[in-house]
Amino acid sequence: MAEARLPSQNPRAGVPFVLPALAMLAAMILVPGVYVLWLSFHASSFGQSPTYVGFANYAKILADPYFWRALKNTVIVVLTVVHVELLLGLGVALLFANGLPFRKLLIACVLAPYAVSEVGAVVMWRTMFDPDAGLVTRLLLSLGLTPLEWSVVPMHGLILVSLLSIWLHLPFTFIILYAARLSIPKDLYEAAELDGATAWQSFRRITLPLLMPAILIAMLFRYIFAYRLFSEVWLLTGGGPARQTEVVAIYLYLEAFRYNNFGTATATGWLMVLTSLVLALVYLRKLYREMLARDA
Amino acid sequence: MTHDTVLVLKRRLAQLGRGLALALVLIWSVGPITMIVVAAFTPEKEIFSVTKSAGWQPTLENFVMLWAKWGDFFTGLLNSLIVTLGATLLAVVVSTLAGFGYSRWQSRLMASSAFSMIALRLLPPIVTTLPLFPIVNAFGLNDTYLVLILLYAAFFVSMGTMVMRTFIDQIPRELDEAAMVDGATSLQILHRVILPLCGQGMIAVAIFVIVYAWNEFLFAFIFTTKFAKTAPLVMSEMVGSLDGVEWGVVFAATTVQLLPVLIFVVLCQRHLIEGLTAGATKG
Repeated sequence: MAEARLPSQNPRAGVPFVLPALAMLAAMILVPGVYVLWLSFHASSFGQSPTYVGFANYAKILADPYFWRALKNTVIVVLTVVHVELLLGLGVALLFANGLPFRKLLIACVLAPYAVSEVGAVVMWRTMFDPDAGLVTRLLLSLGLTPLEWSVVPMHGLILVSLLSIWLHLPFTFIILYAARLSIPKDLYEAAELDGATAWQSFRRITLPLLMPAILIAMLFRYIFAYRLFSEVWLLTGGGPARQTEVVAIYLYLEAFRYNNFGTATATGWLMVLTSLVLALVYLRKLYREMLARDA
Repeated sequence: MTHDTVLVLKRRLAQLGRGLALALVLIWSVGPITMIVVAAFTPEKEIFSVTKSAGWQPTLENFVMLWAKWGDFFTGLLNSLIVTLGATLLAVVVSTLAGFGYSRWQSRLMASSAFSMIALRLLPPIVTTLPLFPIVNAFGLNDTYLVLILLYAAFFVSMGTMVMRTFIDQIPRELDEAAMVDGATSLQILHRVILPLCGQGMIAVAIFVIVYAWNEFLFAFIFTTKFAKTAPLVMSEMVGSLDGVEWGVVFAATTVQLLPVLIFVVLCQRHLIEGLTAGATKG
C-alpha cells in the first residue's frame, strides 16, 4: 500500500506515537507475564527469595484434586455460558433485524446489563433466587418445580453463576451479531424471496453463512473472556461449599493469597495463559496473516 | 378453511410469536434491574415479605440508612469517579496517539508491534496480579489511585488503539498531505487535522473504559484496602458483612452505583455499537 504513506516520509517517524501504548502494555502486562513464567519454576512466598524447583509447582497442581475440580467447573461453565449466549444473541439479533417499532428504545433495554457491575449483577440474581423469598424461587414453586439451592448444591451454584454470566455478557454477543446481520445486503433476501425461498431457506442459505465470521469472532472472544471468570463466583459462592464451586481463577487466587503457595499460584497462572493462547490460536493466526500481509 | 385464511392465521401466529419473544427478551434484560431499583425504594421489612401489603409506597428510607451507615460507600463512589476519569483520560490519549501512528505509518515493525499488542491483551488479568502485587507494594503504590488507573488503562489500550486506527483510517490522507505541503509536522497534523475529525472514535473508546473502570472488581479487590477503595468493592463488603446483611441498604447502594452509568450507556448507545464494530473484536 504505497499510496498509504505520506510523501517523503520516514517510516520510523511513526514509532514515537505508538511508544506510550507499547510501554504501558509492556510494564503492566508483558513484564508481569514473563515474570510469572519465571516464578512458576521457583518456590517462593511473599518476602522470601525464590529457589529454582523445575517443574515441581506444575507437578503439585496436576496432583491436586482441587485443581482438577476447578478446571472441570470452569470448562462446564464456559461451554454452557458461551453457547447459550451465542444462541440467545443470534435469536435476539434476528428478531431485531426484522424491523421493530421503538427499535432504539428496545436496543437500549437489551444493552442495559452491559452497564451493570459484577457486584450489582450478583446482588440482583441472588435476590431473585433467594431460597425463601426470591421472585424466581416463588415462581418455580408455584409452577411445581424445585427451586435452585445454589448455596448448598454445588451444581446449582454453578447454574446460577452461568445464568448471571450469560445475562451480563449477552449485550456484547448481541451487538456483534446484530451489526453483522445489518451489514448483509437487503437485495439478497429480496432475490431469495423472488425465487420462492422460505424463511428457513433464506436463514440457512444467506443469514447463517454470512454471519459465520461474526459468530466465530464472538465465540472466540467469549471463550477467552469467560475463561477468566472470577468475580461472579467469588461474590456468589466464594468457591464453596467445601471448595466445590471453585473455578481456575478462584483456585489461583486462593493458592496465592490465602494459602500462601505463590509457586503453585504462578504455575496455575501460566497454565491459564497457555490455555488462553491455545484458545486464541486460530484467531491470532488469521490476524497475523491479515496484519503482516498488508505490508508484504 | 380457504387458502387465504390459513395465510392470515399463519401471519397472525408469527406476529404473536415475535411479540412473545420480544416480551421475554425485555423481561430477561430489564427485569433484574427494575426489581432491584423498585426494592431500593421499598421499606426493608416489606422487600422479602411473602405477603405483599396493598399498594407500593415508595420510600427513601434505604437511601437515608445508606447515607447514615455507609459513609465508606460514598467515599468509594468518589474514588471510583477519580479512577474512572484518570483511566479514561490516559487510555484515550495513549490510544489516539497509537491509532494515529498505526493508521499513517505502515511497516513490518509497526504491524508486528500492533499484533503483539492484541496478543498481550489476551493474557488473563488475574495472572498479572501475582507478580504485580509485590512490585506494587515495593513502590508503595498499594491502595493508590495510580495503580488502578494504570491497570485499567493498560487493559483497554490495545482495543482503544484498534478502534482509533479504524476511525482515523477513514480520515482522507489528502488532508494530511495538504497540511504537510504547508509545512506541518506530524504532531501538528495530529493536532489540526486528525483530532477535530476523530471525536467519534474517542467517545467510543471512552465509553468502554468508563463502563469497565466504574464497575471493575478484581483489581480493586486485590490492590486497594482502605483509601482508594472503589464503590463496587464497598458494595461487596456490604453483601459479605458478617453481622447480617441489610438488603434494603444494599439495593439502595446498587441503584446509586448503577444509575449514572446505565443512563450514560443508554445515551451513548450509537457510539457503543459503532465502537464495538469498529475494532473491539480486533483488539
